Amino acid sequence: MVQEKIRFQPFSSEPIRLIDEQGHWNAPFEHGLPPEQLQRFYRDMLAARLLDEKLVILIRTGKTSFIAPHAGHEAAQVGIAHALQRGHDWLFPYYRDMGLVLAMGVPLVEIFGQTLGNAADPAKGRQMPSHPGSKSLNIFTVCSAIASHVPPAAGAAISMKLRRTQQVAVCTFGDGATSEGDWHAGVNFAAVQGAPAVFVCENNRYAISVNISKQTASENIAVKAQAYGIPGYYVDGLDVLASYFVMQEAIERARLGHGASLVELVVNRFGAHSSADDDSRYRSREELAAERQHDPLPRYQRFLEKQGLWDAQWANELRLEISKELEAALQAAQEAGEPDPLQMFDDVYAARPWHLEEQRRLVMDELQS
Amino acid sequence: MPTMTLIQAINTALDEEMSRDERVMLLGEDVGKRGGVFLATEGLQQKYGPDRVIDSPLSEAAIVGAAVGLAAHGMRPVAEIQFADYVFPGIDQLFSQAAKLRYRSGGQFTAPMVVRMPTGGGVKGGHHHSQSPEAHFAHTAGLKVVVVSTPYDAKGLLKAAIRNDDPVVFMEPKRLYRAIKEEVPSDDYLIPIGKAAVRREGRDISLVSYGGPMVETLRAAEEMAAAGVEPEVIDLRTVMPWDKETVLNSVAKTGRLLMISEAPRTASLASEVAATVSEELFDQLLAPPLRVTGFDTPYPLAQDKLYMPTVTRILNAAKRLLDY
Ligand SMILES: Cc1ncc(C[n+]2csc(CCOP(=O)(O)OP(=O)(O)O)c2C)c(N)n1
Ligand SMILES: [Mg+2]
Repeated sequence: MVQEKIRFQPFSSEPIRLIDEQGHWNAPFEHGLPPEQLQRFYRDMLAARLLDEKLVILIRTGKTSFIAPHAGHEAAQVGIAHALQRGHDWLFPYYRDMGLVLAMGVPLVEIFGQTLGNAADPAKGRQMPSHPGSKSLNIFTVCSAIASHVPPAAGAAISMKLRRTQQVAVCTFGDGATSEGDWHAGVNFAAVQGAPAVFVCENNRYAISVNISKQTASENIAVKAQAYGIPGYYVDGLDVLASYFVMQEAIERARLGHGASLVELVVNRFGAHSSADDDSRYRSREELAAERQHDPLPRYQRFLEKQGLWDAQWANELRLEISKELEAALQAAQEAGEPDPLQMFDDVYAARPWHLEEQRRLVMDELQS
Repeated sequence: MPTMTLIQAINTALDEEMSRDERVMLLGEDVGKRGGVFLATEGLQQKYGPDRVIDSPLSEAAIVGAAVGLAAHGMRPVAEIQFADYVFPGIDQLFSQAAKLRYRSGGQFTAPMVVRMPTGGGVKGGHHHSQSPEAHFAHTAGLKVVVVSTPYDAKGLLKAAIRNDDPVVFMEPKRLYRAIKEEVPSDDYLIPIGKAAVRREGRDISLVSYGGPMVETLRAAEEMAAAGVEPEVIDLRTVMPWDKETVLNSVAKTGRLLMISEAPRTASLASEVAATVSEELFDQLLAPPLRVTGFDTPYPLAQDKLYMPTVTRILNAAKRLLDY
C-alpha cells in the first residue's frame, strides 16, 4: 500500500512548525480540519493544563504524595492523543503523560484515584501517582524505571505485525530516556523488524537537573533514528497541529507496513521535575521565565482567534465546565476510600502460592487483633 | 563534635576522601549541579570541579560500567545510583564486570569502586523507590555489601569502602537520611567492612537486623526491656561478608535468634543467617530461629507501612521465641 500524503521530511535542521508564535498557519498545505476538531484540541489542552493545576493543589494540600507536572507538554500530548486510533492502537506512556492519558479518554475519576492511591484506582493503589494505565484503552501501565517500556513497545509492535491487526504501538519518553540501553535495544529491534512502532520523545531539555547538553552529543534526538535506519522527525512540540500532523503521518506509515519511526517533540517543562524536586538549584529563574513566554496554549489560542474559533466568553465557559468536571471527579475519587489492605497479596501471580497465603494470613490476623 | 544526619555524614565522608586522595571521584545522575536528589553530593562539584564530579547521562549501565573502567585504570570512583530500584539497567556491569573482574583475570585486574544507593521503603515510594535488593548483590560473588543505619557508621564505613580494594555496594536507607542526628567526629576514622555492632547487650534473645529496620528493632528492644526481658541487639552493618562470629557468640549466649529485615523473605539474608545459626548452634538453641521480613510481593504504595517489619510484628515473633 502507498501512503496517501507524505508531507514531512525527516532529519530537518529546523523543527517542523506549522503555527508560528503569532498564530499564523505557516505551512505549504491546508490543514483541512473541521472547526469542532480544532476547538477540541484547545479543550483538551486546556483540560490538561487545568488538571496539572489541580494536581499541584493536591500536592500543596498534602492530599497526594507525588506529582510530575506536565505543564508545557500539553500541545505535544494532545497532538499524540488525537493522532492515535483510540482504543485500537496501543500507547506505552511514561510518568509525565497525565495530559496525554486524559486526552486518550482515561476517566478523571481513575486519574484522581491513581493520584490518591485509593480504591478508585483500577490498579489498586499499587504504584505512585503519575503512573496510570488502562487495559480497556490499550494504555500500558506506566513503569517508573526509565525506558524500560521501550522494548515492550517494540514487542507489542512485532506482535501487531505478526497478527496483522492494523494496530500501531506508540511509545513516549523523555530526552533523558534516550541514554538508557533499553531505549536503543527497543528502537533497534522494532526498526530491524519493520514493526509498526512510533517512538516519541517529549524533549523538555532536562532530565531532572541534567541539561540535554550533558545527555547527548547528538545535535538533537531525532537524528539518532538515522543510526537505526528509520526516519526521525524533529518537531516543535509547542505547536499542537505540528505534533498532530507529524504523529499522524508516522502512525499511518507504520500502519501501512512501512515500519517504525522516531518523533522528537520539543517542549518546555514549566514546573520542577516533580514535587520532590527544587529546580531553582539548577535552573535560573530568568531561563524559566523566558521559557514561559513560549506557552503552547496562548499560541494555539491566537491561531484559533484568527479563524474566528476563539473568544473570551467561550474560553471562560469552557474553563468553568472543565473545572466542574475536575471537581466532581476528585470528589468521587475521594469518596472511594482506602483499598483493602489484603489486596497487597493479589496479582503477584495468577493464583496465590502457599507462601503468599501464609504471609496474607499473618496480616489478616494482625488486622483482626 | 559536630552532630550530623546520615546524609550529612555521607557528604562529609565523600568530601574528606576527595580531598585526601585525588583519584577519588564521583559520577551519577544529578550528582553535580543539583548535588544529588537527596543532596548527598551537595557542594562537591563546586569544590572539586566537573571533572571529578560528573553529571552522567541517564544510564546506570554507563555509570556502573564506566566506574569499572575508571577503577581498573587507577581511579577510585564512587558511583551513585539514584535509587537502589534503578540499579537494574546497570546490573550486567555490576555482576558480569565489576564482581568478576578480579577472578576472571586471575587477580591481574581489579575494580576498587563504590556503588552508593538509597535503599528501602517507608517513604510512600511505591514499587520503584522502596525496594531492598541487597540479597541480589550478596548472591553475586565478588561484591561486598554494606547497609548502614547510623550517621557515625555511615562516615566510617563509606571511607573504608572507598579505600577497599574490592567493589563495594553501599546501601543507604533513605528513610533514615534525615531521621536521626548524632555526634560524628571530625577525624579520619574507618569502620572495618565485615564487622557487626552490638547495639545493646542482653542475655535472653538476640535481635539481629541491619539498615532501616534497626529503628523498629531498637524500639522493640526497649519495649521488651520495659517488660523485664533482656534482648541483645546486633546491627550487621555489612551483609556480605556478614559477621558470623559476633552473631554466633550472641546466640550461643541467648539461645534465641530473631532476624529482622525489610527485604522480601524468600532467599534473603535473614534466611542465610537463620540457616547458619541452625547449622552451627543447633544443640544450644532454645527455640527455632525466626524471621520478621518484608513480604514476597512487589512493594505496594497503598500498604507502604504495612509491608515493613513493624514493632508489633517484631514483638509478636519475640514472644513466640520466648514462650517456646
Ligand atoms: C532507570 C531509572 N533511572 C533513574 C530514574 C530516576 N529518574 C526519574 S525521572 C528521571 C529523569 C528523566 O528525564 P527525561 O527522560 O528527560 O524525562 P522528563 O522527566 O524530563 O520528562 C530520572 C533520572 C528512573 N526513574 N529510572
Ligand atoms: Mg526531559
